[in-house]
Amino acid sequence: MSRDDDAKGFEQFERFLEEWSRRDFLKRTGGAAAYLTFLAGGLEFLEACAGGGGTTSGTAKKGGHVVEGNFSDIRTLNSMLSSDTASNQVIGLMFDGLLNYKKDGSLIPQLASDLPKTSSDGLTYTFKLRSGIKWSDGQPLTSDDVKFTYALAQDPAYKEVSSPRRGDLSKYIKSIDTPDAQTVVFTMTQVFAPFLSAHGRYGILPKHVLGTLDAKAINTADFNTAPSVCNGAFKFVKWDKGAQVTMARNDSYWQGAPYLDQWIYKVLPDSVAVTNQLKTGEIDIGPIDPGQYDALNGVNTITRSEFPVPIFTFYAYQLDPNKPAGPLFQDKTVRQALLYALNRQQVVTAVFFGHASVANSVEPPTSWAYKDKPQVIYDFNKSKAESMLDAAGWAKGSDGIRAKGGMKLKFNMITNAGNKQRESMLEVMQQSWKDIGVDATPSLIQFPQLVSQIVSIRTFDMFLVGFNFAEDPDQSQLWHSRNTAAGGFNGFDFKNDQVDQVLDQAVGTLDRSKRKDLYGQFQDLMSDLVPAPILLFNHGIWGVSNRVQGTDFGPFNQFEPRPWNHNVWVTDGK
Amino acid sequence: MLAKYVARRILASIVVVLGVTLITLILMDRTRGAYVPGIDFNPSLRPEDVARLRADLGLDRPFYVWYLSWIWGVLHGDFGHSMIDGSTVTSHILDRLPNTLELTVTAILIGMVFAIPVGVIGALRRGSKTDHALTVVSVAGFAVPQFWMGLMLILIFSVTLEQHGLPWLPSSGAFSPFNGGDILDRLQHLILPATVLSFFYVSTWSRFIRSSMLEVLSQDYIRTARAKGMSERRVVYLHGLRNALIPLITLVGLELPGLVSGGLVVEVVFGWPGIGKLAFERAIQYDYSTVMGVTFFAALLVIAGNLIADVLYGVLDPRIRFG
Repeated sequence: MSRDDDAKGFEQFERFLEEWSRRDFLKRTGGAAAYLTFLAGGLEFLEACAGGGGTTSGTAKKGGHVVEGNFSDIRTLNSMLSSDTASNQVIGLMFDGLLNYKKDGSLIPQLASDLPKTSSDGLTYTFKLRSGIKWSDGQPLTSDDVKFTYALAQDPAYKEVSSPRRGDLSKYIKSIDTPDAQTVVFTMTQVFAPFLSAHGRYGILPKHVLGTLDAKAINTADFNTAPSVCNGAFKFVKWDKGAQVTMARNDSYWQGAPYLDQWIYKVLPDSVAVTNQLKTGEIDIGPIDPGQYDALNGVNTITRSEFPVPIFTFYAYQLDPNKPAGPLFQDKTVRQALLYALNRQQVVTAVFFGHASVANSVEPPTSWAYKDKPQVIYDFNKSKAESMLDAAGWAKGSDGIRAKGGMKLKFNMITNAGNKQRESMLEVMQQSWKDIGVDATPSLIQFPQLVSQIVSIRTFDMFLVGFNFAEDPDQSQLWHSRNTAAGGFNGFDFKNDQVDQVLDQAVGTLDRSKRKDLYGQFQDLMSDLVPAPILLFNHGIWGVSNRVQGTDFGPFNQFEPRPWNHNVWVTDGK
Repeated sequence: MLAKYVARRILASIVVVLGVTLITLILMDRTRGAYVPGIDFNPSLRPEDVARLRADLGLDRPFYVWYLSWIWGVLHGDFGHSMIDGSTVTSHILDRLPNTLELTVTAILIGMVFAIPVGVIGALRRGSKTDHALTVVSVAGFAVPQFWMGLMLILIFSVTLEQHGLPWLPSSGAFSPFNGGDILDRLQHLILPATVLSFFYVSTWSRFIRSSMLEVLSQDYIRTARAKGMSERRVVYLHGLRNALIPLITLVGLELPGLVSGGLVVEVVFGWPGIGKLAFERAIQYDYSTVMGVTFFAALLVIAGNLIADVLYGVLDPRIRFG
């Protein structure tokens, strides 16, 4: 990253011009003031040319701030109440958990000094805390704080705390013990492999602040909107609701004080505003919508990084034979043929502007269990789709629509109105299937109605929606037959004993090679059965101003606690 | 007489407030489906967690039960906690009120400052080129959607100017994220949204003033004033304008709720952290308690605005009696 002095001087001059135009626009429109400023800047410029510059841009500097933009406001700063990505992201700047993810999703110790020791039966996890960790008010952070944090979503005494984590934690954790101030022992009710990656990262909360409140009061505690103490890289300063959260350097952070004085999380109207403000420098960091990617071409103040993420779009066939469209999709040949008829690469190009990847498997390419060539791969093949349907007895009628036994291959597809990508995908599906004699009609409904269709009413013929997979390859929530129950996400009524068995076995062992093998079988099965085909996996795209160094975005370091926040610094020290 | 009139109006307004809030609640409740406010549609959540959080929010009960307990709270001065973030609804509204007032009061003042001369000029030079030009601009003010105008201004005055290295205006928010918040900084942020919002007011009000002025200028007392040999200036401004402005009181009075919610579109486009944006965001997220709080507040202002306008009418126009 070293540049010669001329280039550096020039860069500084450019930055001065930029600054001059950016800051105090009104103040400096007066000619005299502008002239004076120019002189001052000119001196700076000359100084830079003379080679008097101090540090090279490769060495981290202290001071300055970054503004990170996103289009949702946070909801809460209490890690045990939060369920949205914006809140989790900001919580991650102020609260560390026992563990964290590297950007590839592998676990690293954070407040714990190492990954926990697991007993041979897989039923206890023993965490040792790092020594000397302090809250920002100087109190020591101990195993009591850890126990308190998890108890909020596990201990029956706290059952009135509105935590979205209670289901899992109260089911799998039998007890939490603290033999000494540095040791926490989680005893499980059963072996549950995803436990650490799913539940090991919650920001630890201060018992000495919240411990005096009763369960109900915790839901509405002032702490949730203005935490008085933190243990992360930054301390809370202010939340201007609807506008921004301001955070300041925590000098007592266990990894040492971060370089930046301030980290500001700014709420923007939409993804277009994120792109605009990256351009104008109003924000330094922001997620870029695929449709906005090209708008930043040629903007040399911003560096973009792009990587695959476990966010996906899928459509589901109605598999309940008692629903109107159920009988259409009972034969897997129909399900497979419809998928063969889709040119998904074209969808990636046309709808995501190339910033997504066609899915070959139900597991995302970012997963350690990913099998890139499962049993069946669905490359676009229209004639194959047609011959499969012909062979299965679905013959074209006089109206060009296929039918079998008096039943027409005709159905409705729903998704939520307002999501342009999903709306376009339904149009592509309608056209592609029309080409092979299938009559599919898109229909758009409001998001709450789509949710109701998927989890409760379930009268749909087919729905299209997007989800986000966790780091652990367990996908029981979507495919296990027990989640066909009301409220579950297997709303398309997929029931397969073999799949249930493999999923259960795979969460019941901590042996990773065994799990990998099981998830291999699972992916083969799913590629053959295609109850709800995953069309594509999204890409995450982040724009970062060139003045900001030390960020390292990746599939699991986007909207969640990032282990590198304290390493971020700015070249201009502003 | 006046006191009795006001008392009757206030009693009638209770019915209005109840009706407005009840309809708001029914609309939200009927369209919410299985959606739970504050919970993302996330397969890592268990159905039992979702069901429990729903019950915690009181959403497992019929809407009228929820409504009654809400009314009970309001009678005790408690607007409840947001379903999304647990903060009190009152704190949400109070946090954002100053921002909204900053925007709307500025826009209304700019609106009046420009609308009155534009309307008067249009009336005095009726049918002239100036009048036609002003009419075109006013109609444009009605016709151009605020969101479109906002986006265009952002494109021109933020993005394009910045690209050409010229002084530019910030495109969103009410203040700079870092070291912002002084008057100069807030003014810079205010220029674009206030322009969009006041453009609408100028267009609407100037048309009303123009027609009201034309009507007044054709009255007998104006002819009398002229016949007495009064200067045209005195005729127009003392006798004409004062009477022509009476309808404007209704219009501005009706804008009182607009002080709080009128900037909704503008606030959303410019990411202005005000009450309109709050209402919009929370309506989408089905945050019952916050939406109900804002609705209640806005309904009160509509009623108060109407009442104030009516009372002022009586003060300014002796022909009007309250009964």
